[in-house]
Amino acid sequence: MPNKDNMTTMHEKDITKEKSRQKVVKLFVQVMVYAFLVAMAIIVLFPFYWMIISSLKTLDEYRMSVPTFWPKTVMLSNYAEAFTTANLGRLFVNTMIVGVISTLLSLVITVLSAFAFARLEFKGKDLLFSALLATMMIPGELFTITNYSTVTQFGWMNTYTVLIVPFLVSVFYIYLLRQNFMQIPNELYLAAKVDGTSDLKYLWKVMVPLALPTLISITILKMMGAWNSYIWPRLVANDEAHRMITNGLRNAFTDTTGDVNYPVQMAAVALVSAPLFLVFIFLRKYIMAGVSRSGIKG
Amino acid sequence: MVDNKQQWKAWIYLSPAIVLLLIFTVWPIFNTVRMAFLENYSGLQAAGGKTFEFGIQNFVKVVKYRKFVSCLKNTVILCVTTVPISTLLALLIAVALNSIKPLQKILQTIFFLPYVTNSIAIGMVFAAMFNIVGSFYGTENEIVVTAGIVNNVIEFLGGKTINWINYGSTYTANMIVMIVYIVWNALPFKILVLLGGLQSINKQYYDAAKVDSTPRRRVFTHITVPLLSPMLAYVIITGFIGGFKEYTSIVGIFGENMGPADDAGRLNTMVGFIYDALETNSQGRASAAALILFGIILVVTMINTQVSKKRVHY
Amino acid sequence: MKVVLQNLTKIFPSRNKKVKGEVVAVNDFTFEIPDGKLIGLLGPSGCGKSTTLYMISGLQKPTSGKIFFGDDDVTELSTENRGIGLVFQNYALYPHMTVKQNIMFPLQNLQGADKLSKAEMLERAETAAKLVQIDDLMDRKPSELSGGQQQRVAIARALVKMPRVLLLDEPLSNLDARLRLQTREEIRRIQKETGITTVFVTHDQEEAMSISDMIVVMKLGVVQQIGKPQDVYDDPTNLFVAKFLGTPPINVFNGRVKDGTVYIGEDAVVTGTDVSDREVIIGIRPEGFELDENGPLQCTLSNVEVMGRDVSIVSKNDASVNPVIRSIINSDHKIDTTVETVRYSVKLHKFFLFDKETEERIYFEVK
Repeated sequence: MPNKDNMTTMHEKDITKEKSRQKVVKLFVQVMVYAFLVAMAIIVLFPFYWMIISSLKTLDEYRMSVPTFWPKTVMLSNYAEAFTTANLGRLFVNTMIVGVISTLLSLVITVLSAFAFARLEFKGKDLLFSALLATMMIPGELFTITNYSTVTQFGWMNTYTVLIVPFLVSVFYIYLLRQNFMQIPNELYLAAKVDGTSDLKYLWKVMVPLALPTLISITILKMMGAWNSYIWPRLVANDEAHRMITNGLRNAFTDTTGDVNYPVQMAAVALVSAPLFLVFIFLRKYIMAGVSRSGIKG
Repeated sequence: MVDNKQQWKAWIYLSPAIVLLLIFTVWPIFNTVRMAFLENYSGLQAAGGKTFEFGIQNFVKVVKYRKFVSCLKNTVILCVTTVPISTLLALLIAVALNSIKPLQKILQTIFFLPYVTNSIAIGMVFAAMFNIVGSFYGTENEIVVTAGIVNNVIEFLGGKTINWINYGSTYTANMIVMIVYIVWNALPFKILVLLGGLQSINKQYYDAAKVDSTPRRRVFTHITVPLLSPMLAYVIITGFIGGFKEYTSIVGIFGENMGPADDAGRLNTMVGFIYDALETNSQGRASAAALILFGIILVVTMINTQVSKKRVHY
Repeated sequence: MKVVLQNLTKIFPSRNKKVKGEVVAVNDFTFEIPDGKLIGLLGPSGCGKSTTLYMISGLQKPTSGKIFFGDDDVTELSTENRGIGLVFQNYALYPHMTVKQNIMFPLQNLQGADKLSKAEMLERAETAAKLVQIDDLMDRKPSELSGGQQQRVAIARALVKMPRVLLLDEPLSNLDARLRLQTREEIRRIQKETGITTVFVTHDQEEAMSISDMIVVMKLGVVQQIGKPQDVYDDPTNLFVAKFLGTPPINVFNGRVKDGTVYIGEDAVVTGTDVSDREVIIGIRPEGFELDENGPLQCTLSNVEVMGRDVSIVSKNDASVNPVIRSIINSDHKIDTTVETVRYSVKLHKFFLFDKETEERIYFEVK
C-alpha cells in the first residue's frame, strides 16, 4: 500500500475493451479445452475402435495397404473362429470357476478379519494390524518365488486350488473394510449385545448391509483380478484343463508381429474384453470408488 | 478390559486369514531372504538333498549378469519416462475435465475406460496397430502389405514409415511403443485420483484468485498444483512402484519373446528376470533379484516421500 | 469511486430438483453507494446480503439489473477486471503460502499501469502488514495463525493492491468478542485512512451500526430501509427494521387506537394523535420509558439489573408480545425494588406505531 500522501487506487481499465477481450479469451479457452479433451478422448478410444472394426474385417481387407475405417463386409464368422481357435469356452469356464470361488471365499475371510479388527478387543491387535499393513509394501514377486516351491510341494500344480488359495487374503481389502466398519457407530453393536444378538448375526444383519458398497467394490476388483491375472497362472496352471483366459489368449496367439490373422485375433481380444466392459457399464460407480482408494490394478 | 471370550473369538475370526498369511506371505518373506543368501540355491537340487553354503554370490552374480543390467535399464527407462508423461497428461486432462460442465460425465467415463481392460489383450491391439504386415526385413525389394494404422497416419501426415516392433526394429522404436502403451494404460487411474482431488479443493481459493486478478496459468501453477500436491505425490509414488513392476504390458505387445523377433529378451524387465530365473529353478538368483527390486522400490519411495515432504502442502 | 446498483435481482433455481420453483435471493435492489463511504449490508441469514456482495464482486452474475462502478457499467465484466478487494467469511487464505506470499500474491498479478517492481511490492506488502499489525508474522503459514490474525492477513491481502472497492463478507464472525470489537475499530480506521469505498456484510446490527456510514437493512431479498445508522434506528420504516436494530431490542406491544388515543391494554399511553381508530402494533425503545408515578403505562415489576451508569428494569405486561419488557433508565433515579408495579410514561420520539397487518410504520402527530 502506498504512503498516505500517495493514496491512489488501482487504475481503471478500459472497460469496453476489457469486456470484449474477456469474451474472446473465454471463448478461446473453452474451445481449446474441449479440443484438447476430445483429441485425448479419441486417442484413448482409438484402440477399442480399431479392435472392433478389425475384428469384423476379412483378412484381405485388413491387409489392404490403404486402411479402411469401416469394414466393407462384416465378418461375424471371425468371432466364431476366434472362439474355437483359442478354445475360449473352456477358458471362460475356468476363469469363472476361479473368479467366483475365490471371490466368495475372499469375501468371507475379509469380512471376518475386518470385523475382528474393527469391533473386537484382543491382545496385540494394533501390533498385528500394523504388521499386516507393512506387508503391503513388499512387491508380490518376492512372495511368488517361495509360493511357487510351496505349491509344488503341496502337489497343487495344475489344479484350481493353486489358482484360488494363495491369493485369498488381501491385506488391502481387510484394511478397506475395517475402515468402513469403524464408521458404523459402536452403539449399534452394544445395542445388539444387549438384545442378545450373536456376533455373527449382527455381522450379517447390520454390518454387511451397511458396508455393502465396499463389499461390491471388493467383489468387482477381485473378479477383474481373476480375469486379468497372467503371471501366476502361467507359472502354476498352464494346462488345458485349468488355463485361465488371459493366459489362454496369449497362448493361442503367440505371434504378435508379422503376418498374423489379425481379424481373428482381434475378435478374440474383443471377446475377452467384452465382459469387463459390461461390468464397467453397469457398476462404474463401485469400480471407480474402489480404484481411487487402491491404486492397484485388479 | 478385555474379556477372554472376546479374545478367543477374535482369533477364531482371524484364523483363516492368519493361516493363509503365514503360509503365503510370512514364510515367503523369510524363505526368500534365506534362499537369496544361499550360494546358487536351486529348488530342484535342494529337493535332491543338496545343501548350500551361506554367501552373497547370488547378488554378485545377478548384478554382474548382462541380462540383469539390461532388464534394470529397461525398467528404469520405462519408469522415468512414463511416470512424468502420464502424470502431466493426467493432470492436464483432470484440470480440463474439472473446468467444463457439459460432456464432463461422458468424457470422464471415456478416460476411465482403459482401466477396465486386460493389459495383455489390449497390448495385442496396440501390437496390431504398430505392426507392419508383409516381408519387412529392411531389404531393398520388400513387399509391405500393410504398414499398420499408426504408420498410415504418420504417412498421411507426411512422415516416413517406421519399423516399430517387427523383425529388425530398433530399440528406440520398441521403447516408444512401450511408453505409448504404458502411458495409455496408466492415465485412467491418475485422472480418477487427480480429478477427485481437484473436486475436493475448496472453491473459495479460486474465487479469491479471481478477486486477485490471477492469470489462468498462475492459477494453475500457484494454486491448483500446490493444493493438489498430496494427490500428485500419491499418483507419482504409486506410478513408480507400478513402473518398477512393469512386465505384462510388454508381454501384451511383444509376447513372451519380450522383444522383436530378432532380439528376444531385449525389452525384458526386472520382474521378467525374476520369473526367468524361477523357471530355470534358480531360486537363489530369483530371490536375490527380488530383494534388489524390493530395495530399489523402497529407496525410490523413500526419496519420493522425502521430496514430497518438502514440496507437498498438506 | 461510487458504486451504483440498479434494479439488481438474483434468482436461484430451487436446490431440490424434484420441487420446481426458485428462490429470489435479491429482489430489485437499487442503491447508490457514495464514494469513499463504508456501507453495512445488514440482515438475518438468507436475506440476500451476501449474494448482493458477491454480485458486486462479479463472482455471481445478477439475473437482471445493472451494476456501475463510477459511470462504467461493469455488470458483464469479470471479477478479474473489476479491481476489487474481497475479504471472505472464511478468509480463503492460500494455505500453502506464507503470510507474506499471501499478501504479495495480488501484487504479482497486477498488469499494465499498475505493475510494480519487486521492491515496491515488498514495501507495499510491509505497509499493509503494518496497517493491520501483522508485520511480525510474515513468515508463518495461515494454519499457524489464530482466527484474528488470519482475519487481518485477509484484510491486508484485500487492501494491498489498493482496490477500487473493498468488499467484506461477515469479516468478524469468526472472532471472539474482544477481538471483534478491536478489529471492527481497525476496519473503520483503515477504511477512513485509505478512503476506499467499502461494503461489508454482517448479521450483527451492533457491528453495522457502530462503524458504517450508511446501513442497508434487508429481509428475504428485499431492501427494507437505507440510511445513516442513527436515522434508521430513530426512524424505522417498519416493524422488522425496528426489531432488528437496537440492543436490548425494542419492546413490542399489541394495542389499539381509539379517538386519537393509543391504548396498551387499558392504559392510555399517548393521547391526542391523528391516527384513525384501529388495531396497532406498538414499539417502544428501551430508553423510551420514563419512570413516572403518574405515568399511564402500568407494568408488573420482575427485577432490576444495575449496569453501571444505567439501570435496566425488567417488567411484565399482558399486552407485550415479548415475555418481558426491558427499559433502560438513568441510574440517578431511585428505584424502589419492593413495589409490585411500576408506572411509566413514554418519550414520543422513541415510540412507534405499526400497522397490524402490513407491519408498516404509521406516522402520526400529536395535537
